[in-house]
Amino acid sequence: MAVNLKRSSQGPQRISRRSLLAWITGAGLVGSAGLSVLSNLVFIKPRVAYGQPQRFSIGKPDDFPVGTPRIILEQRRICVVRDGNRMAAVSTTCTHLGCIVGLSDTGFACPCHGSRFDQDGQVTGGPAPRALPWFKLSLAPNGELEVDKDTEVTPGSYLTL
Amino acid sequence: MSEQTPNPTSLWAAVKGLPGNLWHSVFRNPLPANDLERSATSFTNFFLHIHPVKVHKNTLRPGYTLGLGLISSFLFVILVATGILLMFYYVPSTTQAYDRMLDLRGTVAFGPILRNMHRWSAHAMVAAVFMHMCRVFFTGSYKKPREFNWVIGVVLFLLTLLLSFTGYLLPWDQLAFWAITVGTAIAGYAPVIGKDIQFLLMGGTSVGQEALLRFYVLHVAVLPAVLTLVVAIHFWRIRKDGGLSRPAEADPTPPMELMAGPDPKPVELKAKKIYGIQGLVRGPLTKVNNIPDNTVFSWPNLLIAELFTFIMTLSVILVLALLFNAPLEEPVNIMHPPNPAKAPWYFLGLQEMVSYSAFWGGIGVPGVYVLLLIFTPYLDRSPKGVGKWFSRDRLLANTIFLTFVLANVIFVIIGTFFRGPNWSFVTPW
Repeated sequence: MAVNLKRSSQGPQRISRRSLLAWITGAGLVGSAGLSVLSNLVFIKPRVAYGQPQRFSIGKPDDFPVGTPRIILEQRRICVVRDGNRMAAVSTTCTHLGCIVGLSDTGFACPCHGSRFDQDGQVTGGPAPRALPWFKLSLAPNGELEVDKDTEVTPGSYLTL
Repeated sequence: MSEQTPNPTSLWAAVKGLPGNLWHSVFRNPLPANDLERSATSFTNFFLHIHPVKVHKNTLRPGYTLGLGLISSFLFVILVATGILLMFYYVPSTTQAYDRMLDLRGTVAFGPILRNMHRWSAHAMVAAVFMHMCRVFFTGSYKKPREFNWVIGVVLFLLTLLLSFTGYLLPWDQLAFWAITVGTAIAGYAPVIGKDIQFLLMGGTSVGQEALLRFYVLHVAVLPAVLTLVVAIHFWRIRKDGGLSRPAEADPTPPMELMAGPDPKPVELKAKKIYGIQGLVRGPLTKVNNIPDNTVFSWPNLLIAELFTFIMTLSVILVLALLFNAPLEEPVNIMHPPNPAKAPWYFLGLQEMVSYSAFWGGIGVPGVYVLLLIFTPYLDRSPKGVGKWFSRDRLLANTIFLTFVLANVIFVIIGTFFRGPNWSFVTPW
């Protein structure tokens, strides 16, 4: 030890073999601890998620009569809007914290935290940060309506039959 | 102890001495008759050595601590015991969980009372831990040298909330499903890593079987293990930080000296010298010379107080469990949240705040609360007013804390009584 101290006080700073090995060992231990934490995170992150398909058919346009302008498909969590020969699919999942909004006189209302939306899904009250998204609605070649929940469209863009 | 066996190796002597030898190998000390034997028993018994040999009289004043820390830990013991029993009949499956709840209510012997005990203990533990935190604050007990134990206490409070949150999802009733939906969505609002945490908690993109399994594992394995470890550190620190806090005038004479200086020399034990058992203990409680002793022996004083607290806690929970059934809502209907969808009372303040803004109510304000709580002992460095309820020297700190407590109580009351369908404001009368 004494020799080491003497050296470091005279010449350029030198690292002793012992402390170099200690540093390498320490870095190795910390590194492997970090790697094992990381691999645990990778482990608990599922690679395959199960759920409903995001693109699905909801039936023929005639299934949604002009007389009832809004029909909620509960399983799909969408509301099918029919306005004359125009149709659209609006999400019923609240943009606040994921509850299911229900129909109200003025549009949609969320039972969990009181968010309110108008007929087009625009926020009119409560804590919701965004409007209810509109999903792409298209007419498949077999004459059935197809909803794509992965593709949002600007609110107000209807599918004209 | 005093076998007069002429020939210790003879088989007959061994057989004759068997009961006694067996007994004394398990219990190293006789039932203590004097103080020295009490000290020896406290030191050598695994279950007793968590206690100090002697405690300060102030520690035993019921009006000072209200026994809230002990009550919290006993509630945890009850929760572990009843929880393990419930695990024998529970299956964390979305198709079976609710039926298992009905089985517990209908066909399992003692099922209803076990479930009721587990539920009411969980509610009581949230309340007891919170009141314990209030007690520690209002008596200024988080001050030096107990700062870090206060931080550990804050962590324990959060763990208690997490345990109760993960627990009430398991029945897979309406409350469970919508609470997990909302709870994981709140996590999703956390900056940067929020969405990843949400995905890890749900084990997928929507709430379902994976989420139930994950919350089950958290509830019965991960969180209890972490809580047990942290509680052990909490208890350990009480001892090492000099026992429970007390007013400065509780020990009128010169400050207690540490036995060892900054550079303790190894204690040399000589064969002839007799050390008192206390003499070997380093720390703030070691007495030097003739300082008046304000401590009493833990055996029996502390033990009797603990036994009394335990029996009272267990009795209250038993009576509650016999009188009131734990709620069980309708089975999950993923299409219809109940209206209004309300969390248990202790989360209704949070739900009320979330109804103004998801980020600020669910992440921002609670996050600031937790940070403020954690840094309290490092911001308030004044050594005055320790060990007294509502000390005049702590008027400002106590007023601020009380304001926060009252604000949250008001939020809970609004959420409980003044919110109706679609979370709109209603009057309860």
